[in-house]
Amino acid sequence: MEAAQVEDESLVRETLAGSQASFQLLVERYQERIFSLARHYTRNAVDVEDLVQDTFLKAFSRLDTFQGQSSFFTWLYRIAVNTILDGIKRRGRSPVNIVEDPEAVAAPGSTRVSGPSAGMERDEIARITHAVLGELPEIFRAVLVMREFEDLSYQQIADVLGISIGTVESRLFRARARFKDKLLQRHPEFGEE
Amino acid sequence: MECNQAQPLIPSYLDGELSEAQAAPLRRHLLDCQPCRAGAQSEKNMKRWFSATNAVAVPKGFAARVARRAFAGDTGEPRLEPSLTFVPAVAAALPGAATEASEDRALRFVLQVTAAAALIVIALSLGLRGLSLPSGTSLSATDGRAEIGVQKALERLDRMNQEEAAKAPAATSKTVEIQRP
Repeated sequence: MEAAQVEDESLVRETLAGSQASFQLLVERYQERIFSLARHYTRNAVDVEDLVQDTFLKAFSRLDTFQGQSSFFTWLYRIAVNTILDGIKRRGRSPVNIVEDPEAVAAPGSTRVSGPSAGMERDEIARITHAVLGELPEIFRAVLVMREFEDLSYQQIADVLGISIGTVESRLFRARARFKDKLLQRHPEFGEE
Repeated sequence: MECNQAQPLIPSYLDGELSEAQAAPLRRHLLDCQPCRAGAQSEKNMKRWFSATNAVAVPKGFAARVARRAFAGDTGEPRLEPSLTFVPAVAAALPGAATEASEDRALRFVLQVTAAAALIVIALSLGLRGLSLPSGTSLSATDGRAEIGVQKALERLDRMNQEEAAKAPAATSKTVEIQRP
């Protein structure tokens, strides 16, 4: 078991014993990653803060159910994903709902896209990427965000979403293909022969 | 390794998810196969769209604030029924737990009760208004009945006046004159 995980579990135990300071340390340890995750779902700073706060509050109220079978981060991240998706739906700001069975989508073609042009500013790249992500079904957006932005391993994504590694692979494959298609619909200039 | 074996492995390879035993033959294949190499390059290009992220700005004092709320009993659940909020045992057992979150919940509760009362009043007034305003055909029927009733009353009063006049001709000046509609 990694040192960070041991420390997390120790902080969890101290929190359950009534230490507010230990819970504050847990929040400080993961707040940046949860903020980063939430930011991919809404650009509204107030909404982001509310969603992250709700994530930690829910985690606290369920802390006694944390068994240590997965890492604290994976357990927290799962709560975060569910809280963020529920929160976005409740606010009616989800741009895309699942209207199809993603696993049943036909295998994507061999669409190829170029990377961003050398002269493009970071903000411009981020704006295009988020606009394209916003058009993807939630289930595809989630795996792309976790893999590409948050750098989660296939195993971590599988644990968070409660699916197999094989499903993670196939979902990522389709998500990337869909991302390319949507990117080219908006910006045909980024197509490659 | 053949192209049809190599291509499905490329995304996992670029994600760093292949073992060395799987990655080594793929690397050899990519060195030899230009189309697969171009495919791998395209996948790498695609990843560059996800590289532009700005640093996350966590609000100052966020962790302390959240910890305080958590220990005050705020569970982060949707705040539709604050009176039913679950308070974890660890928080409930602590002294001085009534803090910021409790006050927020109380304020929210008052606001929600006020809003609910206002809605009920509006609904009741609309409902009563609907009852007292008959629609379409029933309106004319009611008016018709009312008209017939008034007519009969006037006729009756006329008869009473005439009877009164017949009994006491001197008292004619007291006859009640009624303006017909």
